[in-house]
Amino acid sequence: MRLDIRNRTLYAYDDWVAESQNEVRLAPLTDGRQHLVAYRLSVAPSSRSLAFTDYWGTRVDAFGVREPHLSLEIVAEAAVETAGARPRPEAIGWDGLSEQEFRDRHDEYLARTPHADWGPAVADAAADARADDLVSTVVGVHDLVRERMAYETGSTHIGIDVDRVLAEGHGVCQDFAHLAVAMCRSLGVPARYVSGYLFTSSDRTGENVDGDLVNVQTHAWFEAAVPGHGWMALDPTNGREVGVRHVKIGHGRDYDDVPPIRGAVSGSSTAEVETDVEIRRMDPSQQATVLAPPRTHPAPEPSTAQAQQQQQQ
Amino acid sequence: MAGGLFSGYDLGGFYDEAIGPDGTPRPGQGPVVDWFDALSPDDLRHHGALRDDVLRSRGITFTVYGEAQGIERTWPMDLFPRIIRADEWSHLERGLAQRVDACNRFLEDLYVGDQAILEDGVVPRWLVMTSSGFEREAFHVSVPHGARCLVSGVDVVRGADGRFLVLEDNLRNPSGVSYVLENRATMARVLTGAFDRMGIRSVDHYGRSLLAALKHAAPPAAGDDPVVCVLTPGVFNSAYFEHAFLARQMGVELVEGRDLVVDDHVVAMRTTGGLRKVDVIYRRIDDHFLDPVVFNPGSTLGVPGLMAAVRAGTVTVANAVGNGVADDKAVYPYVPAMIRYYLGEEPLIDNATTYVLWDDDERAAALDRIDELVWKPVAESGGYGILIGPQATDAELAAMRDTVEADPRGWIAQEVVALSRVPSCVDGRLEGRHVDLRPFVLTGESIEVIPGGLTRVAMREGSLIVNSSQGGGSKDTWVLDGTGAADPSDRSPSEGSAA
Repeated sequence: MRLDIRNRTLYAYDDWVAESQNEVRLAPLTDGRQHLVAYRLSVAPSSRSLAFTDYWGTRVDAFGVREPHLSLEIVAEAAVETAGARPRPEAIGWDGLSEQEFRDRHDEYLARTPHADWGPAVADAAADARADDLVSTVVGVHDLVRERMAYETGSTHIGIDVDRVLAEGHGVCQDFAHLAVAMCRSLGVPARYVSGYLFTSSDRTGENVDGDLVNVQTHAWFEAAVPGHGWMALDPTNGREVGVRHVKIGHGRDYDDVPPIRGAVSGSSTAEVETDVEIRRMDPSQQATVLAPPRTHPAPEPSTAQAQQQQQQ
Repeated sequence: MAGGLFSGYDLGGFYDEAIGPDGTPRPGQGPVVDWFDALSPDDLRHHGALRDDVLRSRGITFTVYGEAQGIERTWPMDLFPRIIRADEWSHLERGLAQRVDACNRFLEDLYVGDQAILEDGVVPRWLVMTSSGFEREAFHVSVPHGARCLVSGVDVVRGADGRFLVLEDNLRNPSGVSYVLENRATMARVLTGAFDRMGIRSVDHYGRSLLAALKHAAPPAAGDDPVVCVLTPGVFNSAYFEHAFLARQMGVELVEGRDLVVDDHVVAMRTTGGLRKVDVIYRRIDDHFLDPVVFNPGSTLGVPGLMAAVRAGTVTVANAVGNGVADDKAVYPYVPAMIRYYLGEEPLIDNATTYVLWDDDERAAALDRIDELVWKPVAESGGYGILIGPQATDAELAAMRDTVEADPRGWIAQEVVALSRVPSCVDGRLEGRHVDLRPFVLTGESIEVIPGGLTRVAMREGSLIVNSSQGGGSKDTWVLDGTGAADPSDRSPSEGSAA
């Protein structure tokens, strides 16, 4: 599916800010399932950004604004081509987890991290999801999070430990993802947090969109490592596998490794933050509308995009 | 050696660096032993009082954390110097340079290289990836000339046979070099010329060498005369004295985070004459406080945007960010393997015997001897968190066992090293006290080891804890250049060389 995304974040300060330094992680990545066609970041007041790829493979744009300003507007525009969900693997046993080669690559996804630091409550809940094979276990974790958690818009629980999130029984997508990550890790299954977008009319249900344009928020889900298969990606917020409507920005051990925007602002002013994300489904033959100047090359045909993706696997 | 201050001197069954097993001075030690032996207790008291005056007037202090008041103390320096012969030093010097060379290459390999040492299975990948010192925010950040450990402090000790062993590496922000220089200056005032003919190698050039190394690490675009500054957390830091001292020695600005600004990925410092571009920052702030954008967002010590500037290559931060992975004590056992891997050489200085506790067999064997070993947390420094088995209570040992079982990656165990001793002034006479040594190694155009280093001495009888934060003292460390006046004690048995 060809999606154009426009993410606009506005910080409105109650007093002049002399300086702010920021990092933005809003560029969808290119991997085996999706392909970034174009990306552009604009900032007002204008500032030159330094783009680099971080340890996790996420594109980062770093910039500073060093002139007095009352607002900071960050607009990230992306055109991305997505493919459907990977087929779910057959049953896979637990033995592979302890093989040295696998451990070498995945142990960093087993540790407790600030947003995925579980206690007995989460570990006990996770134990209920444990099955003879890993695939069912990961799916079980996903199902359990859905069962125990109600989606509630509004306040995110970022900063609250997962045991409390579980006890309260409600949250937003980040909380669902962190809880699932923590449950997997408590079982010894390496898991990571994913930041991205979902093209849907409802985060909760993930239901399909009739029209071609939606207004959403950034989304989050989780991936679990399964030996012999790779990463299984599941979205517990709306109970579906990560597929053609999901656009991945990046992953990390938890939210702190892939925050959409982080920064430091001088002085003591407080900000009102306003974010709106617009996702538009494009006819694959169309040029990207949100990106200016228009690209000179036509967007790749789906088959071409597919071939390119496979090449990158 | 007559019956002076050394009368009744007891070797205590340890390797004494000044006095051989036959009771005579070891080679190179004669002049100092004889000079001290000839002092009267009154002389010693007189010299001690003079030393205290000198230290006080020079303002040489150190800080002990965790004490409510009066945490600023006068630096304790023992008058009896620690002497290292030219041949001993030459071996140690080459061994330290070799070690730092390998650590620089290891860090380059991890952060900007192919991680070849991990791919080849020489160092376990998971061990690196689970090190709290492996700083992902520094991934793919290059450092001019790969001089990541620009200043290293490698802690070495001599065991029962007199051989040097590396106890730990300090590759992040090793402190103590200011005391090396101040000890020397103080000794010169107190002993006024008594040992001029011994041929003692100078340490006074440290500031020049450090500045040269820092300038060498400047980004290529900085030009011929890069601007260097020292970044300190501020006056409440225990090593603030040293930060100010080093800035003065080098003739560069001492700044705090708020004195620096980042504009368009370029760092500048605020001066009375306006903003001035900075090329190299000798930072004495821990990684996690350097830049609130990428690290601890609550840090008021750092400089917002600094890491992006470092990544852009407009400024060098020394030591490099992320060095902690190489001085992680669970990675330390692999340093000899790194030397073989990167340099194709055998290590010249061995590690102390160390047990990695994440290995089930080694852990079981070590826990069986829990009361015989030294237990160290992998990410700490300065002696914090260490438990010395033979001196621990049953309750402490039981707690340590639980801690290690719960977090085997987080600890190592080492054999107790019977630290060598050096005569030290105690109650108007000389007694043997245990010492260690922190030599300072600079990575500049070449790797340079400052002759000697900081000798720390456990002034309490029998104690092995040399940290000044925990009741330790220090000694001036003399490296002989081999040209000194004939030493009558050189006739003593050659076992003293004990290489």
